[in-house]
Amino acid sequence: MQRALGPSGPSPQATRAGNMASEPERPAAKQQEREAMSESGTLLYLPGIAGHPANSPALDALGDAGWNVVVPQIPGFDGRAGFQPPDDYLSWLTVVWDALDATGALPCPVVGASIGGMLAADLAVFRPEAVTAAALLAPFGIFDEAEPGLDVYALPTAERMGHLFAKGVPDQFVERFAELGPDDGPVARYLSDVAAASLVWPLGDRGLARRIYRIACPTLVLWGELDELLPVARSAAWTEHGLPVEVVAGAGHLLEWDEPDGVGGRLVEFLADSRGGG
Amino acid sequence: MKLLWFHLMPYPELPEDFNRKHHSVWVDVDPGLFEPEVVASSYERYIEQLVHAEQCGFDGICVNEHHGNGYGLMPSPNVIASILATRTSRAAITVLGNSVALYDPPVRVAEEMAMVDLLSHGRLISGFPVGTSMDTAYAYSVNPGILRRKYHEGVDLVLKAWTATEPFAFNGRFTQMRYVNALPRPLQRPHPPVWIPGGGSVETWDYCSTRDYVYAALSYYGHLMAKETVGGYWRRVEENGKDPNPYRLAFLQFIGVGDTDQEAYRLYREPAEYFFNRSLHVYPGYADPPGYVTEASARARYKSQVRAVVRAKQAKHDLTWDEMVEKGYVVIGSPDTVRETLEDVARTFNCGHMLTMLQFGNMSDELTRYNSKLFGEKVAPGLRSLFADAEDRWWPANAVAA
Repeated sequence: MQRALGPSGPSPQATRAGNMASEPERPAAKQQEREAMSESGTLLYLPGIAGHPANSPALDALGDAGWNVVVPQIPGFDGRAGFQPPDDYLSWLTVVWDALDATGALPCPVVGASIGGMLAADLAVFRPEAVTAAALLAPFGIFDEAEPGLDVYALPTAERMGHLFAKGVPDQFVERFAELGPDDGPVARYLSDVAAASLVWPLGDRGLARRIYRIACPTLVLWGELDELLPVARSAAWTEHGLPVEVVAGAGHLLEWDEPDGVGGRLVEFLADSRGGG
Repeated sequence: MKLLWFHLMPYPELPEDFNRKHHSVWVDVDPGLFEPEVVASSYERYIEQLVHAEQCGFDGICVNEHHGNGYGLMPSPNVIASILATRTSRAAITVLGNSVALYDPPVRVAEEMAMVDLLSHGRLISGFPVGTSMDTAYAYSVNPGILRRKYHEGVDLVLKAWTATEPFAFNGRFTQMRYVNALPRPLQRPHPPVWIPGGGSVETWDYCSTRDYVYAALSYYGHLMAKETVGGYWRRVEENGKDPNPYRLAFLQFIGVGDTDQEAYRLYREPAEYFFNRSLHVYPGYADPPGYVTEASARARYKSQVRAVVRAKQAKHDLTWDEMVEKGYVVIGSPDTVRETLEDVARTFNCGHMLTMLQFGNMSDELTRYNSKLFGEKVAPGLRSLFADAEDRWWPANAVAA
């Protein structure tokens, strides 16, 4: 597996020092290079509400299966100084799509977790030619007044992370941006949270219920049984629109971290099936 | 100097065990605690107290805006201000203020404040707070990541709506209008003075000083804790090339005056304990929505960690009355004691507008009037001559100082 262009690839310091906008790469050539290095092809992974630190076990499973996993550098999620959230959701989609296009990976399968699941779903809705398969892990995007779930941003900052996982906070998240030092690390964490929160404030509903019928690619929705933020009952909205939902026992909101083997294995299986036209 | 009388309009009957049995006084406070009859009689009493403040010689009377809040029952300060505009004749009607980012379109704020200015015949001070995180991000669900940009755009729109000589189109990032023609226009030209309540961010200091707005340092924690904030503000004023006119600053202070120091210590204990231990029982989770503070302020906070330490200390135990006095949250004493302290604060802070909080918590009507009268008669005369040589360019055209 190879991860590129994101905090999980180069060291965070190197990522922060880089300047993608001023040094555009040639997407087609880059994709060919990556395809040559992987057996199964390239896929994009869009991280969730807590960002995406390195060494994700579920993504390792995809890498072991021959996938070249690319984590796009979504503004804000990398904690870079100077970040300001886009004014509205359409502006957010624009900067996210710019980041995805810059990877040169599209069209390809897209795995999106949590907030990344919402972004992946909308990519499949609005740019169906860009997504060959979509795996959505507890995606935001549809709210249910009857199942509001936990408002994680109405918790003291220090308590928020603990509610994203059912089996304890992984070390990678405890030490998120710690490598940047005591001054810059907390600010990077804050900015990453600003990016995530601004995408889902106040309810995390971006109207997907009115458009997910347009998703045409093979799609898998996984949901943590113990998700505090998006109670598993919320998955019904996706099922109602024809998207199969599978519940992962014992997992919380960031289910790929709580159940890396189960989620990783299921993703490998789904992506293999979708390549075969399943 | 100018002396203004500030009212929060608190609910006066929160249960004694409120901070132990209830989650928060703000955002998700139990609506069942609020008896409509108590609120109705409180409004009546509080409005009379504000009118009384003018009679006691205060230069201005102040109202403000809070939402879903047990200590501030003014979701619409303009409603109260419109009553005060017609019930008083001299004092500045100080609305601190309207959180413009909460309103779509913000032109509504321009219209209502213009009405208050007209009703008061040109006595309005127009305050524009960003609003607390509780009011904005939670009670009104405004995305904290865009709040400040929306606020700045809203203030610009209000000011343009007040001053434009013809209808105009406004193509903002958050508000688009084909026809902006806010009527009526305010009586004061070009517009009522602008005051910006703030809690201590560098951006707000720059915003006020570069635009020549009054910076109103609003904190419930008194003059001792405000030194850093006020000092930071004046440094930015100087760095932005502005003069140190004391009327650029307003500062809020809780005050209790008695005939003697001992009497004041006895009289104000209960309402202070009510306010600081019940009315300020805010769940900490509502304090830090991501995006509410700018990157610069976040960086400063993580370096100093001052606020976190303060919060942690406050969370450990109820504040005692002695702590409130010792830390300067409440300035209490005889008229001489209070005057000496406030004179020192005014000189140290170079503050020309003192926002006095003479009603707080569950303070009775009788004690509130006693406090106001004693302050007006025996404290204020010793303070008025301060900064006599400075020009107050931020005072309403037709408000008459005492």
